[in-house]
Amino acid sequence: MPLDDEAVAEIYREHGPMLRRVVWRATSDANRVEDIVQEVILRVWKQAPEADNLRAYLITTARHLIVDQHRAAGRRPQQAQLVDVAEADSALDRALDQVLVEEALGRLQTNHREIVRYLYFERLTVAETSTRVGVPEGTVKSRAYYAVRNLRVILDEMGVTR
Amino acid sequence: MTTGSDDLHVLLGAYVLGGLSDDDHRAFSEHLRSCRQCQTELGQVSGMPRLLDLAGPEGGPHLTDTPVAVPAPLMTDHDDEHLVTLLGEVARRRRRRRAWMSVVAAAAAVVLFAAGAWLGPQLLTPTTPTLPTTHVAAAAVAGSQVRIDIALVTRGWGTQLDVNCEDMPTNGELALWVIDRSGRATSAASWRATPAGYSRVTGATALRPNEIQALEVRTGTGKVLAEART
Repeated sequence: MPLDDEAVAEIYREHGPMLRRVVWRATSDANRVEDIVQEVILRVWKQAPEADNLRAYLITTARHLIVDQHRAAGRRPQQAQLVDVAEADSALDRALDQVLVEEALGRLQTNHREIVRYLYFERLTVAETSTRVGVPEGTVKSRAYYAVRNLRVILDEMGVTR
Repeated sequence: MTTGSDDLHVLLGAYVLGGLSDDDHRAFSEHLRSCRQCQTELGQVSGMPRLLDLAGPEGGPHLTDTPVAVPAPLMTDHDDEHLVTLLGEVARRRRRRRAWMSVVAAAAAVVLFAAGAWLGPQLLTPTTPTLPTTHVAAAAVAGSQVRIDIALVTRGWGTQLDVNCEDMPTNGELALWVIDRSGRATSAASWRATPAGYSRVTGATALRPNEIQALEVRTGTGKVLAEART
């Protein structure tokens, strides 16, 4: 039924690029990226095509899939190198979290993003940021307030709840 | 510059991110002691610095001025191609699950629906190769309640027809007929009705999918229960 095709195509078009970036950064294996992304979309389409929070669902599914493959690879006897599964998992979790936070920053609106950049990453003061951006200090303060709130919402949407 | 007490709560953002002047920092700290709302909000976002640190010292690709080099396999030029692979896989998996589409028996809707079901995948990917599998929902004829989904799988020898039927007659024989472009009908499968009214069968025809004009599910006595026109 083409309704399914449309649903899958829509998920792929809307979330494919984000998933591809996440999987690429987490696995560093360009050959597997597309396979994993497609498998993730197929699983989610099959299990929960109507999920309220599709993005979080896709990301969680990708995480499970990558971790499972990692473990399977670690168990394979022909691999001479013994992989410490727990260590590999937590490294993978860190990599995924990193990508997700980066993605979240990318989804923040531009004038909020630049405030986060100057205040947090460049350690500028509110006064310096005000000069740099060319808006009053009061605006920097209120943008900082909404930037932090929106970032929290975006991260929640992505399933990053910590 | 200090901020009036009404505006103190917005300082929460810069309090978390850093960059407040000493005066503002002191004013907000004091305000925080007595403001329940700010305490709650701070609780929700106090983990932010730890999360932001995950993005590295510069905050990742979206915060740096230099464009990030995208590795070749991540370029999106081949999206359509990937999509065809993906939809082919969708078609394959779809046959493994019971997904039904209710069909309205109104004649006009039936024709439109069957046409839409047939054309859908082709409209979706107009510039890409034909999908190996096409699905059609056979429309119930007036007075019939059956629900039938047929997958046409292109094979080297012709077309495999995977038929999922629900709400079928519970006794007698049933058959799948294939009608070619010249109007000639051949039987592609026959089976016995089940008490549950549900069956999954696979039929076969030497015709290729594009040579099939219509598919019909009939009773043993030749009464048409549902049809799908291409």
